[in-house]
Amino acid sequence: MSKIIPKKSSYALDKLEEIFMATTLAFMTILTFVQVILRAFGTGWVWSLEATTYSFAWLVLVGMAYGVRTNSHIAVDLVSNMLPPFPKKIMAMMAIFVCLLYSALMFYGGFIFVDRLIDLGNNARDIPLPRWALTSMLPIGFSLLAYRFIQLGIKILNGGQTSLGHTTHKADKDN
Amino acid sequence: MSAIFLLIILFLGLAIGVPVAISLGIASISTMLIFTDQSLLSVSQKFFHTMQVYPLLAVPFFILAATFMTTGGVARRMIDFANALVGHYRGGLAMASLLACAFFSAVSGSAPATVVAVGSVMIAGMIRSGYSEKFAAGVICNAGTLGILIPPSLVMVIYGAVTESSIGNLFIAGLLPGIFLTIVMITTVAIIARKQNLPRQKKVSLKDTVKRGLDAFWGLLLLFIILGGIYSGIFTPTEAAAVSAVYAFFIAVFIYKDIKLTEVPKVLTDSAKVTVMLMFIIANAYVFANVLTTEQIPQVASEWIISLGLPAWGFLIVLNILLLAAGNFMEPTSVVLILTPIVYPIALELGIDPIHLGIIMVLNMQMGLVTPPVGLNLFVTAGVANMSMEKVIQASLPWLIVLLGVLIVITYVPIISLIVPKLLGLV
Repeated sequence: MSKIIPKKSSYALDKLEEIFMATTLAFMTILTFVQVILRAFGTGWVWSLEATTYSFAWLVLVGMAYGVRTNSHIAVDLVSNMLPPFPKKIMAMMAIFVCLLYSALMFYGGFIFVDRLIDLGNNARDIPLPRWALTSMLPIGFSLLAYRFIQLGIKILNGGQTSLGHTTHKADKDN
Repeated sequence: MSAIFLLIILFLGLAIGVPVAISLGIASISTMLIFTDQSLLSVSQKFFHTMQVYPLLAVPFFILAATFMTTGGVARRMIDFANALVGHYRGGLAMASLLACAFFSAVSGSAPATVVAVGSVMIAGMIRSGYSEKFAAGVICNAGTLGILIPPSLVMVIYGAVTESSIGNLFIAGLLPGIFLTIVMITTVAIIARKQNLPRQKKVSLKDTVKRGLDAFWGLLLLFIILGGIYSGIFTPTEAAAVSAVYAFFIAVFIYKDIKLTEVPKVLTDSAKVTVMLMFIIANAYVFANVLTTEQIPQVASEWIISLGLPAWGFLIVLNILLLAAGNFMEPTSVVLILTPIVYPIALELGIDPIHLGIIMVLNMQMGLVTPPVGLNLFVTAGVANMSMEKVIQASLPWLIVLLGVLIVITYVPIISLIVPKLLGLV
């Protein structure tokens, strides 16, 4: 953890991410399993599949940011390993910049998407909830992602880490 | 022009250490904004839509099942059983590792998961019994690739989703090539063992072997549930994956009692983490593939290759080279997502069976898993063996020859991939 980010506030978010991801995965699995059982008895829930796919989307969208924090995204460090510390840091910061740019563009795209859905105002196919609400995790997820990349950028500037993501050095084990 | 730009941005991103997923994403977005009149809206729609692709739901479920089986003692019992079967031969521990990888592959759809399941026990075990660190890591790193060849297989799920061909048929087609590769690898170990005079284990009595077999039975039964369920039409591959996860949870917690209910959230979080890592890449690869399609790149590439007038065998050489090159820089699922739209129509035109093509792609991806810089198995082996990446790369390179040999055989002898589905009347 970086010294600059106050530990307490980010800790609550950290825990929340983990609980959300575990619960969502369990929910999706059980729902799909129950569907198989129900079908054996000739019945089933219409909303089941749609609930599963939206849960899946939310899992991934929340988890992207979590993956930055736990260094589980895969990156190649072939070039950066050959560099001395200072150029290495500059390159890592360039990479952070690209990631932030990506997060911003995707956030903007997600924002337009949700905005369109609000205009349309229709509900999801089987779930009695408006589509925009179910899709709203898209921009939220990418802003979380940006937040984590800013954190990581600060950490790299302070020398707490030298590269992004899960590379050859087992940065993963620190958590 | 746009294709070149796309690739340059992708490789620039990868080179400066941007995560693979985001390199794919930023390359797609920038190409789209510069060369097409599509907006960011369509990118985010495509991204979101990836998680609504029904076959891809199998990804989290299979990963969850594999995690339950690794932490829940299923993998350990398979290793014990494999040891009892082949441990007493010269080089027995290495053979048992291979066999255990094959067993575990039969219940898990991912190669890295197989490396973790078997490697975390067997690498240390082999080194303790006098094998070199290099040999131990090399065997596990490569045998782990069986995970995507022996059904179930996540790579086959993706291939099936892209080509809209039957995932069940692909699974069944993977059986024989998987067994074939296992046998070739075991034979290789036997030859090396003789030359280097590798140690053997004490012979396990028949009674103990049977006991260990029965112990491992609960795990191995899963393959039959998966294949039987899909084949008989009781459930879809996606549902089979969910059933596997619930089944693995059940045997780990209630039959083997190796994990307590309180440890289940940890298993869920770990699986979710791996799922997200993979899906983040897959979703961006989907966006990338979409840009290729809107730019008509697959069509142009296909037409160009067809215009060369290559015979089927010549095309297969080109295919293997292309896939191996791509496999070096990307992980398997994204390669399949991106390249299948290009090679699939050509293969059909040349009369290559789609299922056979799928198996060839899987084998190529296996090689991609053990070659730098983006070989997932290398990362994972380095992790479980506590070795440096460089050492693991050196350790696993000689085994590439074995994989390459098998790839050539599987490529040019289609009947190995097709005979089982044919006998079952599926193709």
